[in-house]
Order: sequence, then C-alpha cells, then structure tokens
Amino acid sequence: MFYIRMADIDICIKNKYTYVRALCKDYIVEETEAQLTVEISWEMLDGQVNSSRIPITPGYAESICIYKEICKQLPLRFDAYFLHSAVIEYEGKGYAFSAKSGTGKSTHIGLWKKVFGDGVRVVNGDKPIIRCVDGVLYAYGTPWCGKECWQNNIKAPLHALCFLERAETNAIRRIDAGDALLRIFHQILTPEDMQTVDAMTPLLEKTLLEVPCYLLECRPDEQAAQVAYDGMKR
Amino acid sequence: MKIKNGFVVREIAGQHVVMALGDASKIFNGIIKLNDSARFIWDMLAKGSERDEIVAALATEYNGVDKTTLENDVDTLIDTLKGAGILE
Repeated sequence: MFYIRMADIDICIKNKYTYVRALCKDYIVEETEAQLTVEISWEMLDGQVNSSRIPITPGYAESICIYKEICKQLPLRFDAYFLHSAVIEYEGKGYAFSAKSGTGKSTHIGLWKKVFGDGVRVVNGDKPIIRCVDGVLYAYGTPWCGKECWQNNIKAPLHALCFLERAETNAIRRIDAGDALLRIFHQILTPEDMQTVDAMTPLLEKTLLEVPCYLLECRPDEQAAQVAYDGMKR
Repeated sequence: MKIKNGFVVREIAGQHVVMALGDASKIFNGIIKLNDSARFIWDMLAKGSERDEIVAALATEYNGVDKTTLENDVDTLIDTLKGAGILE
C-alpha cells in the first residue's frame, strides 16, 4: 500500500504487485488522508490479463486497472477527466495534442522539443488528467504516460487543444465546438452511468467553449511544430 | 420501437449528442449529433412513440413543412438508429 498525489488528489493505492509502485515513484507522498482508495480484485486483474491482445504481466495489468478505476471517479468527484492526448508546456501554456493511437502525437511533441528546446516540458505523453480548479482547466501529469514514458509531475493551464491528422503539407486551422466535440469524444473514457454523464457534460462543455480547438494536418517534420506554434500561441 | 437502455442525449456546447453508457458503448462506440428536429424525434422515440405519431407531432411543431419531408426525416433517423443498433 502506498499514497500518491496526482492532479492534486490524494490517492491510496492498495497494490498487489510492485510494478505500479515503481511506476508511481514521482508521485508518492507520505501517508495521508486519502480522498480516494483504489484496490483491484483478482477477478478484475484476470479479466485485464485475459482481454489483452498482447501478453502482459499481472503487475502491468494491475497498473492499467488502477488508472482506469481512478479515471472513472474523476468527473463526479473531482471535476476532472482523462483525456487521451500528449500535453506539453511551453511559455507557461499547456498545449494538448490528441489523435488516434499511431497518428504521431509523440513524434509531434518530440519535434517541439527539437525546435523550441528545453523550454518545452512534457506534462504527459499519452494519458494526462484535465482538471478544473477555481474555474481554470489544467492538464496534469500522471505516472501513466505511454510507451515513451514522457511525463513530469507538473500542471499547465490548458491553452489549446489540437487534433492531429497526417497530411502531405503542414497546416493548422481553428475548428468549432461541434467538430471538436465529435473528435474529443473518442479520446475520453466512456461514462458508465448517468451521474458520470451529468458530471462529464459541463466539463466537456467548458473545455470546448473556453479552450480554442484546432485541427493540425501535419508531416513528421520540424516545420510542423513551427506551424502549430504560430497557429496557436496567440 | 424502443431505444435500448444505456443511450442518452445531452446538449453540449450547443450540440445535441447521443452517447452510449457502459455496455451500450459495445453496441455503438461513438457519438451521434442530432439537429433540432432530430432531437425532437429522439425525445418522442424515447417516450415510446411510434412513427406516425411522431410525424403528426412534427407537423404541429414545424407548421408549414410538407408531410413528405417530415416523413423522410423521421424514417431516415429511425433507419440510422436501427442501423447503429440503438433502436429496436
């Protein structure tokens, strides 16, 4: 058992395997009054191992289940949600890039690091949490972050939300809330009950109305990062 | 006709959208955008209304629109929802 503080939420994790503790090392805090306690049953663990397309260890399966359990609780209890995306912080602003797996999110944020240097910090490469605090939407780092393991235990105010698509030339344009809604919906955790839908609805609405959304058609080259930055910096 | 359990409609940022909850998302994984008249039809389907009843109610709501257009609207939405496995 150990405690983490993630997205400014104190969480107690009752783990069976050591993998998840090692994964969470940047987030571990002293024993504290937890706002959320997570423990995965053996049945659930088996289910996760058996449903995986590729062979996975029980420890890895446990870590996936733990994050899923945490994310399920976010909208209703913490004004927060999981957004499948890569988030970077640059000049104090958070830029979230979202796309289907395999489109090139990691490649693209790697290009930002190359073009803009050390000023670019990765908040999370794949699985950040978006949380509304005092009316402001922040992207938070989490230990769960995709195969490159790019993450930092930091937060950044969400300045722009950018959907990526591969193309022959680099171009960026604003998209309206309706278009963005159809795109963002595929990148969140599907609510399982009515209460969560009702908590998620205002969160999505706030995101779409307050954070400018863009479509970036891009190549995997440095110009793509420049085009993205010029289009979104304001 | 009946909308299966687990499908809900909500208005988000001015858009009417149908979402699938929990197990329903295994039938239909995504989101369907409804315009104002489709939302009207959806709400009637959700209450268990049948096609002709919906057409009649639409005719009152959208006074002046010809019946064929309204019937087409209702049939198209019903076909789409049946095709997606949402309506049975």
